[in-house]
Amino acid sequence: MKYYFTKFCIALTILLCLSFDAYAQDGSSKATQSQDDKAKIQFNGLGRAIISQTGIDGNILEEDSSTIENITDGEFLLDLIVNASPNKTTEVQSIIRLRNEFGGFFGAGMALEVRELWLRGVIADVLKYRVGDMDLALSPYTLFLPEEEGMVNEPAVFAPQREVVHYEQFYTDDNTRRMQGGKLDFGLNFAQGIEDLDISAFVARIRGTDFFITPTRLVAGGAFDFSTVTFNDSLGMKADVGLNVIHTFDDLRSGNANTGIRNTVSTIDFDITLLDKKDISFHIVGETGMSNLDTAERIENDAGDEENNIISEEDDTFLDVGIQIELKKQSLILSASFIDIGPDFFSVGAQSKRIEYNGEKTFYNRIGTNRMLRRPTLFDLNRDRGIYTFRISDMLMGYDPRFANAMPYGDATPNRQGVKVGLEYGKIEDKINATVNAAFLQELRGQGTLQLKNFTHLRAAVNFNIHKFISYKNKLRLTLGMQVESTSRDGQEIEQVDLNSNLIEVGLEAELFSKFELLLGAKLFSAEGTEYIPSIQSFNDIQDFPSRFVADDKETLTGAGFKYEFKKDTYVTLQYNTLILEKETDPLNDYDLNQFYVLYTMKF
Amino acid sequence: MELKSVYYFSLQLISNTTIMNKKFSKNIILIAILAIAISGCKHETESFDGPSLVDRFGPFSGLAELEASLNVVDFAAEETVFFTAEFNKNVDWVLEITGMESGSVKRFTGFDSSLTEANTLWNGGTTQLPLFKDEMCSVVLTIPEEPSYIGTVEVQAVSKRNYANEGALFTDFETPLGPDLFVGNFEFEFTPQTGQQSDIPAEGNTYFRLEGTDNVVPNFFVGLVDISAKVTGNTYVELPTNVPEDLFFNCFMYSDGGPHGLAIVDFIFDSNGNGTYEDNVDANFRVEDYDLATWDGWIQISHPMSETGISQEQLESLVAIRLLLISDMNAQPDPPLQVEFGIDFMIFTTGAPLEL
Repeated sequence: MKYYFTKFCIALTILLCLSFDAYAQDGSSKATQSQDDKAKIQFNGLGRAIISQTGIDGNILEEDSSTIENITDGEFLLDLIVNASPNKTTEVQSIIRLRNEFGGFFGAGMALEVRELWLRGVIADVLKYRVGDMDLALSPYTLFLPEEEGMVNEPAVFAPQREVVHYEQFYTDDNTRRMQGGKLDFGLNFAQGIEDLDISAFVARIRGTDFFITPTRLVAGGAFDFSTVTFNDSLGMKADVGLNVIHTFDDLRSGNANTGIRNTVSTIDFDITLLDKKDISFHIVGETGMSNLDTAERIENDAGDEENNIISEEDDTFLDVGIQIELKKQSLILSASFIDIGPDFFSVGAQSKRIEYNGEKTFYNRIGTNRMLRRPTLFDLNRDRGIYTFRISDMLMGYDPRFANAMPYGDATPNRQGVKVGLEYGKIEDKINATVNAAFLQELRGQGTLQLKNFTHLRAAVNFNIHKFISYKNKLRLTLGMQVESTSRDGQEIEQVDLNSNLIEVGLEAELFSKFELLLGAKLFSAEGTEYIPSIQSFNDIQDFPSRFVADDKETLTGAGFKYEFKKDTYVTLQYNTLILEKETDPLNDYDLNQFYVLYTMKF
Repeated sequence: MELKSVYYFSLQLISNTTIMNKKFSKNIILIAILAIAISGCKHETESFDGPSLVDRFGPFSGLAELEASLNVVDFAAEETVFFTAEFNKNVDWVLEITGMESGSVKRFTGFDSSLTEANTLWNGGTTQLPLFKDEMCSVVLTIPEEPSYIGTVEVQAVSKRNYANEGALFTDFETPLGPDLFVGNFEFEFTPQTGQQSDIPAEGNTYFRLEGTDNVVPNFFVGLVDISAKVTGNTYVELPTNVPEDLFFNCFMYSDGGPHGLAIVDFIFDSNGNGTYEDNVDANFRVEDYDLATWDGWIQISHPMSETGISQEQLESLVAIRLLLISDMNAQPDPPLQVEFGIDFMIFTTGAPLEL
């Protein structure tokens, strides 16, 4: 990999020297918008107040006297964004958080913290830089934060609390991860062959040392993206190609640690337009690459100098290639792809999940007379920020096969081969818009047996803008979502797996008066069957299968409420949500959760 | 390596597109991507991840009973015996062979679906001292996770394994040492039990026991025993090698786990070259004090002679071995308690400790 980096650095240097017509590229840069020579300071922010009462009931509490059946809590917070542009090429921003817990008086429960701090600017109108907090994503197989499970086209009634979770965990629509470090970007335009070229590189610290056995962990990487000119004007042929590299490593000179990891993933992603006409376009899209996972040990060589010695090494590759056809008049996009993700493909930046299923839940983490650890439900996945993370894990994280078994680690889920197909119809403002995705996958290498699991995965989302059918002046919108998953494995009885899960979402957004909406929604989830969940020892090595996982659950999450939007991103909502959990074979452990809350959010 | 080469090649090709014409650029990109795509499907898929589910959760059943390859075995003639059994899945198994007279134990363990010559070959060796005698041995096969399963068989060992051939035997205390033994009971603190005993030998029928109480002259010292190299039939010990790093001293030492005793083994170099051990004239070398409180029963003690600090030249004139019994008076109650240790089968080996 050091040759790769050397090559990358040489290329970067040469391109910088040759970049007579180079320009800085960062569409989101506020620095370029601040063209005045005078210094500017702007104040923005977010205010939030939430008060909720959460309750629990059900069979599991009949003998349980230690669980509090109703909890009232809440918070008031202000994230004050101070954005300063001391000159036209420099910008610095901080977010200062003032937070007070519901019930906190005279400073008790109050917190003051710096939530975000960064500096960015442009050097010589060519090179953009940023240091401090930043949100980064490369490609789905290198650096990417896959979506959380438990939702497809979630009814709007559940959106406010999920938005809170996303805001708190720095989730963005671009599947970025929040990191701290430095980043460089620049772009070039060319007269022939290559139309434009963008290069970015970053380095970030994702874990500090404890000065004993845990070394500092850093991640470095970058992307080299270019678009060709149109090869054939009549067909519109062109290509967009990107090279992505990410290298996660432990600094063995930090603390007293003497072993650490090296995880390098290098990929090429491409979108080759073979045909782009007025009515139709045809693309070949995909990404392919390899991962390398080393365990390094710091040793002293014969000369008395310290050096890193590789004590274990694991390589694997992946391939994701397919076609995409867009029928423009019909507003229809069809896609099909073949994926082949190696069993030893390991990419910490792409495989780390949003949900820590072993994380401690904020409410009712343990219930029942035997203080049973409660498994996260749809209710928790919707609102509990305690089980969410943006951090990069150093091993494959645990997952709940009821919610996602086919691709629990997103596109970069290792040990999968098969076909994916997709369909997109319409736009969000059309009368109807829909998305359907299906995957038919199989393991490449068995787990606990040579027999391979087969996965079927289907997701569909449909939105009906009913007001456009009946010419109703206000918004009247019906949303539907569905996910069906099936996992099976043949073999001896003990090896057999048969797990089926279904998630159905129905939502209604009815704007009764201007900006005043009635929100209704329901999520119906059921899972039945058996599966084995591996416990991971290190990285992606399976240590054991603790026991057969048996699913016989039904969860029904319903919500109803009102929302008044003062202006965009400023609203108040009052809601009641309830979850009913039923276990077919263990009804004594059934329980219900309910919540009444008021949330006021204001962005200014 | 092949895949990495493809990547570097592709990287170079794509980089070069900046200076190539449009048509050629298109072809190069397609070729590079195709090359990577073709090479992107090689994985290790012949095995499976994690423990076998059948082994982990499958029902257990024995397919073949425990059997011995020989009912009568002559270890002294270098005969061996192995055991067979078969199960329907891999299990953690324990095969324990117990000498019905000596109480010696040889233990085999594994995680397999069958017992074969490869995993149960027995040459008469011992896991837990004392050594086997010429005796009937009971063999028991158990599977901890399947408590109801047990397999048994008996094997007659008509002769024990001859460890004396595996190095230079100093003494196994099987015959009276006569004038080659000096007992230094200077303070009259040894009990009459000090000497060759036959109650609990580690090897053969007798061992040497040092036993006493530091209650006459409370100075830590209870007594000592000098065993002359002449016990081997030579003035100096005939060693298999004189390289201290390669020469291992081995013996079996017994302790009853009492908390106050220390044992010392001194190796005596004939400094004045007169062929006999002269106290305060000849040099002695030792490894350490053996804290008798740290074990109960017989253990094997082995160490390279280099740990004593003795040189190659000095090893050529090893004239005696001295055994000392020390009473740790700092820890002893008042009046002090009796301390004791036993020693058996003192042998020098080359390259490695004596393998039981």
